[in-house]
Amino acid sequence: MKQQHKLRVAIILLVGFQLLILFAGFFAPYSSTAQDRRSPFAPPTPLHFFDAQGEFHARPFVYGLKIDPGNYGAYRIDSTQRYPIHFFTASASYKVAGLFTAHTHLFSVEEPGRILLLGSDGYGRDQLSRFLYGGQLSLLAGLIAATLSVGVGIIMGGLAGFYGGWLDNLLMRGAELLLALPWLYLLFAVRAALPLQVTQSQVFLMLVVVLGLVGWARPARLIRGVVLTAKERNFVLAARGFGASDHYLFFRHVLPQTSGVVLTQIALLIPQFVLAEVTLTFLGLGVGEPLASWGSLLSSLQQYAVLSSYWWMLLPALLLVPVFLSYYLAADALQERFKSVSL
Amino acid sequence: MKYIRRRLAYAALLLAAISFLSFVLLQLAPGDYFDALRMNPQISAQTIAGIRSEYGLDRSLAVRYGHWLLSVLKGEFGYSIAYNTSVGTLLWVRSRNTLLLAGAATTLAWLLAIPIGAWSAKNRGTWGDRACGVATSTLLTTPDILVFLILLFLAVRTGWFPAGGMVSLGAGQLDGWGQVQDVALHLFLPCMGLALTITPALIRHVRSAMIEVLESPFVRAARGHGIASTRVLFRYAFPVAANPLISLLGFSIATMLSASVLVEVMLSWPGLGPLLVEAIFARDLYVVMSVVMMSSVFLVVGNLVADLLLFANDPRIRVE
Amino acid sequence: MAKVFQLRRAMGAAWLILPLMAALSAASVAPSEELMVTDNPQGRAGGRIVVGLRTEPKTLNPALAADDTSRDVIRCMTADLIHIDRETLKTEPALAKSWSVSRDGRQYTLHLRQGLRFSDGQPLNADDVLFSFHLYLDEKVHSPQRDLLVIGGKPVDVLKLDDYTIRFDLAQPYAAAERIFDGLAILPQHLLEDTYRGGNFAHAWTLSALPNQFAGLGPFRLKEYVPGQRIVLEKNPYYWKKDRGGNRLPYLEEIVFLFVPSEDAQVVRFEAGDTDILSRFSAENFAVLEKEQTARNYHLYDLGAGFEYNFLFFNLNDLAAKGHPEIAKKQSWFQDPRFRQAVSASIDRESIIRLVYRGRATALWGNVTPGNKLWIDSALPHPAQSLDRARELLRSAGFSLKGDGTLVDAHGTPVEFSILTNSSNSQRSKMATLIQDDLSKLGMNVHIVSLEFRAMVDRLLNTYDYEAAVMGLVTSDADPTPEMNVWLSSGETHLWHPEQTKPATEWEAEIDRLMQQQMITLDYRKRKQVYDRVQEIIAEKLPVICLASPNILVGAKDRVGNFRPANLDPYTLWNIEQLFVR
Repeated sequence: MKQQHKLRVAIILLVGFQLLILFAGFFAPYSSTAQDRRSPFAPPTPLHFFDAQGEFHARPFVYGLKIDPGNYGAYRIDSTQRYPIHFFTASASYKVAGLFTAHTHLFSVEEPGRILLLGSDGYGRDQLSRFLYGGQLSLLAGLIAATLSVGVGIIMGGLAGFYGGWLDNLLMRGAELLLALPWLYLLFAVRAALPLQVTQSQVFLMLVVVLGLVGWARPARLIRGVVLTAKERNFVLAARGFGASDHYLFFRHVLPQTSGVVLTQIALLIPQFVLAEVTLTFLGLGVGEPLASWGSLLSSLQQYAVLSSYWWMLLPALLLVPVFLSYYLAADALQERFKSVSL
Repeated sequence: MKYIRRRLAYAALLLAAISFLSFVLLQLAPGDYFDALRMNPQISAQTIAGIRSEYGLDRSLAVRYGHWLLSVLKGEFGYSIAYNTSVGTLLWVRSRNTLLLAGAATTLAWLLAIPIGAWSAKNRGTWGDRACGVATSTLLTTPDILVFLILLFLAVRTGWFPAGGMVSLGAGQLDGWGQVQDVALHLFLPCMGLALTITPALIRHVRSAMIEVLESPFVRAARGHGIASTRVLFRYAFPVAANPLISLLGFSIATMLSASVLVEVMLSWPGLGPLLVEAIFARDLYVVMSVVMMSSVFLVVGNLVADLLLFANDPRIRVE
Repeated sequence: MAKVFQLRRAMGAAWLILPLMAALSAASVAPSEELMVTDNPQGRAGGRIVVGLRTEPKTLNPALAADDTSRDVIRCMTADLIHIDRETLKTEPALAKSWSVSRDGRQYTLHLRQGLRFSDGQPLNADDVLFSFHLYLDEKVHSPQRDLLVIGGKPVDVLKLDDYTIRFDLAQPYAAAERIFDGLAILPQHLLEDTYRGGNFAHAWTLSALPNQFAGLGPFRLKEYVPGQRIVLEKNPYYWKKDRGGNRLPYLEEIVFLFVPSEDAQVVRFEAGDTDILSRFSAENFAVLEKEQTARNYHLYDLGAGFEYNFLFFNLNDLAAKGHPEIAKKQSWFQDPRFRQAVSASIDRESIIRLVYRGRATALWGNVTPGNKLWIDSALPHPAQSLDRARELLRSAGFSLKGDGTLVDAHGTPVEFSILTNSSNSQRSKMATLIQDDLSKLGMNVHIVSLEFRAMVDRLLNTYDYEAAVMGLVTSDADPTPEMNVWLSSGETHLWHPEQTKPATEWEAEIDRLMQQQMITLDYRKRKQVYDRVQEIIAEKLPVICLASPNILVGAKDRVGNFRPANLDPYTLWNIEQLFVR
């Protein structure tokens, strides 16, 4: 069936991306913080199979990069220096999921050659490595915030829909209130109130938690809608007739019906919260240097100078699209699947 | 009638709650407007303290909030420390500009979304529909900032559109029609950018709403009767699909208002956005509160209008 | 007989009438205008230029304006008694055509130009000067300029000697006395006195006031203000300067200040031709604009170092009262000058210049930038980055390296701390990132905390809840005295340890002494020697580790004539009365 096909494709893509990012250390040739002050804003390194003399090499290679002395910021390819690409090399160690250490990298070149497949940023750091490591932070943040939002949303929306009356009114008005508030300011306040001893990533995760806790309003409304219809379903009424308690009805009969909405919401909210992270970094509230996140990769593009002179800085933004697409695909597929069930 | 009165009363309560909460939140963030002066070696702390007391920043929270409420009732909305004038004067001009932009963008977005969504729903599963789906997904995932930057970039490179602002210099000398054209020219880019932020989502919603309706029995019956498909689409399917879309209208106004902050700041459109951002960074207390209130008012009014439209459109709801 | 009698009567009458006529004529004929003759190449009258402003001015009241944008606009509408020429950095006569100083250096007698009029046509005399200074000094007005006029703990005394002569009495001799007058606008008594007496001065000359309520002595006067969009100034027909050809300045008919909220937007509009002058933009934008210079008929200027200096400093406050035990423990490192010297030695200033400013900046080892030609101590050493020297200094201070490369102090505690930066200043954030990487090579674990400006100021000056910070200051004048509060240990902006009741260290006491001395030394050469010694102490003890000073980058369309930008604020508009359109 087409639906199942779609869902399957979406899940394969999602899992694929998650694995890529989980094993960032393996796929990335450099660490996310290694600066190389000789090559700031270097364009993506072209790969070659044929050298200047026209000879073919089975192993692809890159040329050395030299700063053009006459023209600040421009680079010249130095075709006298050839650096072949080696695969499955052992170099700088990295941690996988913070658990075990490994040394193998998928590909690398010998120093002082640099392989910058997506170019480098203002400090000479490899954008590809930063993209992969940044994904760890951004996706984790998105996942935590989305889960929190939906979690709180289930509680609030479920209670509102199930009991109705004044509780429903109160909770839904509260939701509207939250939607109207300047959450920006709350984030400012939280950011500034945090003690200095906390590390950067902890600060960021704390902010994300706050974001997630404030963002329950929208999922709550949707879940409430589902609960409203769900509790009037025949089998629920029947169970109530049999003397089932509220507690039993809610957890055993009503809540499972919201699974479609819940999963769809999670799939939709993760990319939204990742995009919220971009806004946070835009305002200087996000991940601080030198940690990488997708937001910090994109924030340098606000400078008009960067946008017009260094086109490769846009590449991480383009790479985001397939990742988000897979989430939306999953959300779509889930929506279709659960729609046909619940009608 | 009773319904409207109830909604209005509740709306007033909501606004009061919002203002109080944002007031409290604003106090959480450290520092105030005059902290920037403290880094100036030529101004003594005494002078700064004197200035602070003159603006009443040393009085208690309750007193300040009370003052502000009174001022709102008078129509002044408090005093802006940064602009040295009542906030009301600022709000009036800026709100007008933002409403112009948001209104134009909403109209543009729906004008694009309805035909494209309907066409997509009708030709569901074809290459056109899939291409449309990919396009909307791509646009959905592109960060707003990027879209606006690209528009700005295009403006400068091609020179077809002004790079910012609302009117050109010397627009005062143009006649009425000339002035309208001038504003329209400046409006185009921000309007386009803002519309692009919600159009993809709208297209998808229109499409899914239409699909649902198109598969319902009464539409099949109409088709079975031999009624032409366009007529079926607009005369039969659309009014039913309009229900969820109308509530979406109220909702889209809200999203539009928050997205407008970003586009106004980046494309220098003189609306509430730049005012709010500047006031947040400057800790201009009453401006922030008043702008938040203003946007909440728009939100509430938008939702109210949507509810009323729903009322008018769907006889089933009226019965409730 | 009758004829003689009549003649006698006529003569008698004449004796009556003539003095009467003389008196009348003396009263009605005002003294002729004593215009100042300027030295610039002659320009063409007429035309209009457009300048971008990053924020809107908050007020047009010269006595209350504290922010830069308001002051920029006000400067075009007002004039001062003595002015600092931004190119030579020396004082020159302005509204005061000459002045004399008493032998003990405490009395300044200024002679006003006669016959001058405000932009509304009303005459200027000493009463206006008296009134203006009375306003500035009035504590209830809370003018930010008041503190400039408090010398030796006492506010200056202003006396009117006659209609065109005023005397200023200082409590002690003050070397920078003449320079105080720059920027202190002379206000019209006839327009503001009533408002002031009525206690309403705080609401005078706000942006909602009408153009006819203003009067100033500047080259331009207010024509129109459109909130959120622009402020338009028109030529002041009564301006008191003329060029060598006898033409009254300014040349321009109008100036339009356009509100363009961000630097990037300003660059875009300048490139598109909407604005004529672009003041102070970043090096990245310079590179972008450079490419289209000739094609789009504008030119960019790199004026070299300005007066801004960026630095890293550590929290040396006495934290007993405020708490923060974690930070107090780390202060044992911060307070050791060898630690600070090691940090300074490890910083790669050359990379900062290259990566943060694309080469358009000057490295600093002291607090005075090369842009301040009058006061910089050129004998100060400029040591290159040396990690070895840094490690040696750390070793001598009792630090050592563990096996895994972490630096630990004498007790074995690993060295780690945070650097506070301002999130909205991308250059300082970048500097912090580079420094963090440099320090990691010494084994220090540094992380960066990015806060929004006011939150940062709160930590630096209120709660003292920080470990290290990267900040920058821009001196408003070449003279060292206006910045005293940064270097005096009792100063409120003595950033690393403000408002000390008595100097915490010997070298801070020494700096106190020297700064007080230079303040009252009238001879420039002797003052320079004293201030040179201050710079040496700062460069050795490093309360602030100076990093770099960005170059002043400006641009103007070719059509703007007499454009002679300077590296001191206001960079492009200091000679606005001389600008013209080709």
